[in-house]
Amino acid sequence: MKRTVVVFVILMIFISGQVFARGAQEPQEQVVRFWYHLDDPETSLNPLIQKFETENPGIRIEAERVPWDAYYQRLVTAVAANSAPDVAQVKLWWQPQLVEMGAILPLDEYIANWPARNDIIPRVWDLTRHSDGRQYYMPLQMVILYMYYRVDMFEELELSIPTNREEFLDVAKALTRDTTGDGQIDTYGFGIRGGRGGHDYWGSFVLSSGAEFFDSNGNVNLDNQRAIESNQWFIDLFREHNVSPPSTPNDGFREVIDNMLNGTTAMTIHHIGSAAQMHAAFGNRISAFPVPQGSTGAWTSFGDEQNAVFAGAEHPEAAFKWAAFLAEAENNALWQKSSGQVSINISNAGLDHGELSRFYDATNESAAFAGVLPAHPATAEFVESVWPAQMQRAFLGEITSARMMQSFAEHFNR
Amino acid sequence: MHKHRLDRPYVPYMFLMPALLASVVIVLVPIVYAISLSFMNYNLARPSEIGFVGIANYRNVWRDEVFLISFRNTFVWILGVILLQLILGFITAIILNMHFRFRGVIRAMILIPWVTPSVITGLLWRWMYDGNSGVINDLLVRARIIDRFVPWLAQSSTAMIAIMVALMWQGFPFFAIMILAGLQAIQQELYEVADVDGATTWQKFAKITFPLLLPILLTTILLRTIWVANSLDIIFIMTGGGPGYNSYTLALYSYIKAYRGLDFGYAGAIAVYLTLLILVVVIIYVIRITKKDESIQ
Repeated sequence: MKRTVVVFVILMIFISGQVFARGAQEPQEQVVRFWYHLDDPETSLNPLIQKFETENPGIRIEAERVPWDAYYQRLVTAVAANSAPDVAQVKLWWQPQLVEMGAILPLDEYIANWPARNDIIPRVWDLTRHSDGRQYYMPLQMVILYMYYRVDMFEELELSIPTNREEFLDVAKALTRDTTGDGQIDTYGFGIRGGRGGHDYWGSFVLSSGAEFFDSNGNVNLDNQRAIESNQWFIDLFREHNVSPPSTPNDGFREVIDNMLNGTTAMTIHHIGSAAQMHAAFGNRISAFPVPQGSTGAWTSFGDEQNAVFAGAEHPEAAFKWAAFLAEAENNALWQKSSGQVSINISNAGLDHGELSRFYDATNESAAFAGVLPAHPATAEFVESVWPAQMQRAFLGEITSARMMQSFAEHFNR
Repeated sequence: MHKHRLDRPYVPYMFLMPALLASVVIVLVPIVYAISLSFMNYNLARPSEIGFVGIANYRNVWRDEVFLISFRNTFVWILGVILLQLILGFITAIILNMHFRFRGVIRAMILIPWVTPSVITGLLWRWMYDGNSGVINDLLVRARIIDRFVPWLAQSSTAMIAIMVALMWQGFPFFAIMILAGLQAIQQELYEVADVDGATTWQKFAKITFPLLLPILLTTILLRTIWVANSLDIIFIMTGGGPGYNSYTLALYSYIKAYRGLDFGYAGAIAVYLTLLILVVVIIYVIRITKKDESIQ
C-alpha cells in the first residue's frame, strides 16, 4: 500500500512538473473559437487559417463547421448557455435578437482603425448597420437570388425572357408539357420550394406586388387586399395552373435543385451558389435572368452573411482581427472560392468569373431591387416554421390566401 | 461471530447509489428544469420578455390550433404505428419460428432495419417516396397500380400513413424478436397433447399460443408505445411535420417550438402534456412489472 502511495506521489510530481514547464516555455496563445458553415462539404478553411496564423503569430483559430440546418438554434442556445463562440457567421435578421441578448459586441471603434474599411461596398455597410446606429457585424459575403432557366427549352418553344409576372406565367405554362407523348406532364415550367427556405420564392412574387412586412409607420402590412391577391396569384401557380411539380408543397432545397438538374423543371430561383453545378450539368444550355417584376416593383432576396464578435470572447481584439481578415479583399476572394458566393469588396468586383460570368451578371442586375427580411424578433420563427406550414396548407387548399396572410400578420403583431 | 459487512441492510443502497446519482443528474434535473421552464415565458427570440407566467402556457395550448392537431395526430400516430409493427412483427416471428434453410442468417438480417439509424431510415424512405423520381412510384407505375407519380409526402391524405409505413419497417424487428422469444418459450408438449386431443390449428393458436404470448405482447406494446410517442426524428427528416401540420405530433411540435421558435417555455408545456399522456402507459407498465416480480418471489 505504502509503495503504491509513493509511486502515485512521484507520478503526480512528474506530471505537474511537465505542465508547469510547458506553461513557462510557451508564450500566451490567444485562441479564437470560430463557427462557420459552408454548403460544399469538400471545401476547407485551412489555407485561410494558416495564412492568418502566419500573419498574426500568437493567435490560434479553432474553427468549427456547424451544419446550416441547426446553425441558428445552436448559436442562440449556446449564447443562452454562455458557451457562444468568439466569432461566428451570422444573418442580418438575427441581429436584433443578438443585440437584445447582449450577445455581440459593437465594432465601431475597431472598424474606425481598420485600414480596409473603405474597400467594403457602401450598400453592405448600410444594410448591416443596426437600428441603434452601431455596427455589430463585419461583412463577409452576399448572394442575390435570380432565376435559372433552360436556354434550350426556351429556344425550342421560341420563348422570350419574361420581365413581369404575366409574361412569367405565360412562359411557365408553355414550358409545362408532356415531352414524351405518354399523356403525362414530365416537364414543369417552374420549380417552387414549398418547404422550409421557400420564402425567398414567395417573396419574389408577393413582396413585389403589394405585400410588405411593415409599412412606413412600422405597422404590419401583410394582409392588405393587394397582398392577399398577389399571394393568391402565387398559390395558383401550383393549384390552378399546375406549372410546378405535384411534389411542390414538400420540396426543399435538394429537391428543387435536383428537379432542375434532371430536367423536371425549366426554371427555378436560386443564387450563385448553384451556378457551378448547373453549368457542369448543362453547360450553355442553362442561363439566368433577374426575377420578373411584380405589380408594384421588383423584389428579390439579398442573402447576406456577416461575422459577429461575441461578448463572451476572451480576446475580443484577436477575434476582430480574424473577422476583419476574412473581410479583406484577397482573403475574401479566397473565402468565396469555398463558399461559392459573392465578395463584399469593391476591389473584387471586377474579377473575371469566366464561364460563370452570366450568373454573376444576373446577380449584379438584381442588386438594385434586392431586399432583406425584416430585422424583427419574429422573423426567425416565421422563416423556420410559420411560413413553411402556412404555405403548404395554402398549396393544399386547407386555408385561403387571406387566412395565410392574416396568420403572418398575427405572427408579426404578437 | 461478527456479521459480514456485506450483510448489512444499507449495502444494497450503497451499490445502487452510483446509478441513482447518475439518474438524478442526467434525468431528474433536466426534467425539473423543463417543468420549471413551462411556467415561464422563456422565448430566446424575445429575451427581454423572459419571466414567470404561471400556468399561462398550459392554458394557451388549448387555444392553439397546431397543438390540437398535434394532439389528435399523436393518437393516430401511436395507434397506427404500433398496430402495423405488431401485425408485421407477429407474422415475421411465426415465419422465423418455422424450420427452413438459412433461418439463422435471416433471423440476423431481420434486425437490419432496427439497427439502422433513424436519420438514415428517414432519408432512405424520403427518397423512395420522392414524387418525381422515387423508386416506389416507379415500381407502382410499372405494375400499373397507379397511372402517374404520386407525391406521397406532399399530400395531406398520404403523408402520415407514408411515415407510419417507414416507422413500421424500422420497428417491426423488435416485435418479431420479442414474439419469437415468446414462441420458443412455449413447451412443445402442449401442442403434442393438443394434437392428441384433435385440436385444430386455430384452436391451438387461440388456446395455447396466444394466451402464453399475451404477457410478452403486452410488455412489448407498452414499451413501443412509449418509444413511438417520443419519436420525432423520422417525421422531422421525412416531412418536417408537413405538409402544413398534417404530420405534427406533440413530440415534434414541442421540438419545433423549442428549436425553431426558441420558445422553450411553451415547448416545455407541450412536453409536459405529452409526458402526462405517456405516464399513463408507464404506470400500467410498472404495475405489470411489479406484479410479475411479486409472483416470482
